[in-house]
Amino acid sequence: MNMVSPKTAAEEALGVSLPHRRMEEWKWTDLRRLITTPYGKAEAKASVREVDRLIAAAPLAGVKAGRIVFVNGELDAARSNVPSRPSNALIVSPDDSVVEISNRLQAQGITLTLDGNTDTPIEILHITTDATPRAIAVRHTFEVTAGASATIVETFLGEGDYLSTAVVNIAIGEGARFDRIKVEAESAKATHLAHTIVTLGKNAVLRDFTITSGAALNRQNGTYTFAGQGADAKVSGSYLLQAEQHADTRLVIDHAVPHCTSRELFKVVMDGHSRGIFQGKVIVRPNAQKTDGKQSSHALLLSETAEFDAKPELEIYADDVVCGHGATSGDLDHDHLFYLMSRGIPKAEARSLLVAAFVGEAIETVDHEGIREALLAFAQERLSS
Amino acid sequence: MLEIKNLHVKLDGESREILKGLTLSVKPGEVHAIMGPNGSGKSTLSYVLSGREGYEVTDGSVTFKGEDLLAMEPDKRAAAGVFLAFQYPIEIPGVATMQFLKVALNAQRKARGQKDISAPDFMRHVKEKAARLNIGQDMLKRPVNVGFSGGEKKRAEILQMAVLEPTLCVLDETDSGLDIDALRVVADGVNALRSPDRAMIVITHYQRLLDYIVPDKVHVLSDGKIVKTGGKELALELEANGYADFAVKAA
Repeated sequence: MNMVSPKTAAEEALGVSLPHRRMEEWKWTDLRRLITTPYGKAEAKASVREVDRLIAAAPLAGVKAGRIVFVNGELDAARSNVPSRPSNALIVSPDDSVVEISNRLQAQGITLTLDGNTDTPIEILHITTDATPRAIAVRHTFEVTAGASATIVETFLGEGDYLSTAVVNIAIGEGARFDRIKVEAESAKATHLAHTIVTLGKNAVLRDFTITSGAALNRQNGTYTFAGQGADAKVSGSYLLQAEQHADTRLVIDHAVPHCTSRELFKVVMDGHSRGIFQGKVIVRPNAQKTDGKQSSHALLLSETAEFDAKPELEIYADDVVCGHGATSGDLDHDHLFYLMSRGIPKAEARSLLVAAFVGEAIETVDHEGIREALLAFAQERLSS
Repeated sequence: MLEIKNLHVKLDGESREILKGLTLSVKPGEVHAIMGPNGSGKSTLSYVLSGREGYEVTDGSVTFKGEDLLAMEPDKRAAAGVFLAFQYPIEIPGVATMQFLKVALNAQRKARGQKDISAPDFMRHVKEKAARLNIGQDMLKRPVNVGFSGGEKKRAEILQMAVLEPTLCVLDETDSGLDIDALRVVADGVNALRSPDRAMIVITHYQRLLDYIVPDKVHVLSDGKIVKTGGKELALELEANGYADFAVKAA
């Protein structure tokens, strides 16, 4: 039994107990110690000018898409051009700290039923303006109906000091295809906590890519469950971390049925004193024969003081499966650098070319050309700043 | 164009010298072959000229067009006109060959105070050079050297050379690992670049390459020094007698 510690100011403000390092899943990301600001619910007035400025600065602002805009956690109907319904279902499962915080904050959001086959993405843009430190919580539900295909981008950006939580529940119907792109470009002072819960139906296809770049502290959980045979999920991501940034992703891929394929690919670039963590758990249930699950995480450490930890976990209860994982971390390859320089490319340019190529491998998993190119440009800009 | 005087080189952190007083003078338009047995210092010479880290010059000098080449970073050497065709070209995942060529060419142009080449001019320039080397669009789209066969890598090196138009080409064992047909294609590509303003140093173990790229001068490198210099007939002599004579003298 752990001793019951007195609640921290942040816990008092949020009304929850925050997870801490003695909990296995949180050992690298001790929220009780890391969240020091007492974030509570608070009203914030945002001027038209600052909202417009942030919208224009969004990494995918140039991509043709339908848009739904949230400002300080509330739907801005006037700036949105895609119809949606309020999200009402309270998410209780999985039993998870981020979900608990979100529920406690009475997260608001939308439900989108995606039943068409369109190439035009929908971007849900979450803007947080600079005001008193506060907690903002959104909760969305996406239902992709059988045979449908859709692309949704979730973008988070802001200024100032705040806690942003995002819980997203996604159900992908039989034979449907869902492309999800998440852009975490929060304020450098912000904390971003997320949990994404995905269920894949028979023969469903998921392409999920997250770029993690902005927040001081980021924890993203994902629970992906194969509920129908023949489904295929590719979950990838890049971190672009510098200074004191801390980012931790924990994914659980649950192969509950046979004949499903999962791929996880994370490419992490870290500079300064940043800290990156990737925890990937793959569960193969006893009847989930012919499961094909692979996971890899690779970190590029640009400074001596950056640190990357990877924790792959395979829980396999079926005997006819192909599962594997790999993790690497290291510096830029000196031979690569010399080769580029020997062709006349100055060192700084050669370095950024190699770093961009490194994260590019994960970004290349994004199918939509316009989004992919905007992400590559965004990564390049972040890496050269 | 290139003046190497009494060059002494050792590996960083080691005491044994690899080059022990190498002297070589190359004029514009000339093709020099440097031949020698394994371990004679051939590759070290090529890396020292291109500025690879890990080597320490303990004595001597290298001047290129009147400038101290050893004081320049590798990218500055390239912009000044030095090109090394690697014996083992490096694979660069994630960087498309076409993009790499463009970035390299424009970086060199910028260093020389020229404007970026226009996209259509660049495409024309590369396509023309690639066709001569049997390099198709498919290869140009692939990441640099990734998954290329041995022959493709060597052709890609020569393509880079043709696109970047250096004034001093150093070819380090460009013939290694090539069959006779691939060797011909590569040699044709090299010969097409011969010009009165451009010099070449062809480093090789075997005489075979010199049937296709006919040198003006042949030097024998043994134990870190040039021990004999002659015309192209010296290569044939080496082919007949081997390096044994020189190894004995050097010992």
